[in-house]
Amino acid sequence: MKRLWIAIAILLAIFSASIWNARFLAGFLSDLNELLVQAETSAESGRWEEALQLTSQAQERWKSHDAYLHTVLRHADLDQVDTSFGEVQEFLQCQEQGEYSASNAKLMTQLMLIWEAEQLTLQNIL
Amino acid sequence: MVIAFLRTIILYLLIIVGIRLMGKRQVGELEPSELVLALIIADLAAVPMQDFGIPLLTGIIPIFTLLCITMILSILTMNSVKFRALVCGRPSIIVENGKIHQREMQKNRFTLDELMEELRMKGITDLSTVKYAILETNGQISVLPYANQLPVTAEQMQVTPDDVGLPLIVINDGHVLDHNLRTRGLDRAWLQKQISKYGIKEPDDVFLLTVDEQNRVYFSAKEVLQ
Repeated sequence: MKRLWIAIAILLAIFSASIWNARFLAGFLSDLNELLVQAETSAESGRWEEALQLTSQAQERWKSHDAYLHTVLRHADLDQVDTSFGEVQEFLQCQEQGEYSASNAKLMTQLMLIWEAEQLTLQNIL
Repeated sequence: MVIAFLRTIILYLLIIVGIRLMGKRQVGELEPSELVLALIIADLAAVPMQDFGIPLLTGIIPIFTLLCITMILSILTMNSVKFRALVCGRPSIIVENGKIHQREMQKNRFTLDELMEELRMKGITDLSTVKYAILETNGQISVLPYANQLPVTAEQMQVTPDDVGLPLIVINDGHVLDHNLRTRGLDRAWLQKQISKYGIKEPDDVFLLTVDEQNRVYFSAKEVLQ
């Protein structure tokens, strides 16, 4: 019976860790999206420096969890986000409003898709 | 991660149900849960091994999940008769008093050719000599002939043959197994004497030498291979 309880304990631990991971990613990615939305608002008001600062802040936060994200997410998805961050920064520096908005929207969608893929929903299970 | 965890559980249980529905012939010597584990664990390990873009954890979580569920199922099947019957099934009587139970055969998707093949493999060609043929939960067939068809035993003939016991291998492809020699209470000097009876000088030239409980020797010299 000891083995039974060990197996059940491991299963519960895996389930709890995966639920924690989903919740952590939800919080982490929505924080990043929040920063990117604020950056977009600043850029629309012509405050390019502030927009650049907020985007850099989001990118740094993203980079600070690089090792963890590489452990739990597909590397291709992470590479796409990295590329998009670089693209958004370039458009901000060039102060290209239209291209920046499109690129920022793409980046936010990529983050949202990562968030969605990790959520415990029937849609994802099926 | 949580999706991988839940998908693993769903697919694992689904495949076990599938294997159970396919009938006992598909099971082999493993329990359905063990068979399914063996079938999918290699694939799970192979994917992150080959694709560096997938986190290692994506392979580790399903593997751990599968191992834990298999352990739980194994313990439950050991402790509960009902659960064992549910997961592993029950033995089916295919032949009773020489009569074939066609419904049982159909239920287990067991063909007449397979039955005859199994009987022939057990040295039985006449179905009317079979008292019971039982399809076991591991897919094997147990055949019990009528009492008058069973081989006569030494006890029935009231003779007492010598019990030779288990022959132990003393020389295995030229290598002397000293612990087996000691188990029989023998030594190298005895061994040397035995092999010299066959005109051999060194144990290296012996392919197999066994000694039973009555110290009877089986000897096979190494052949000179071209």
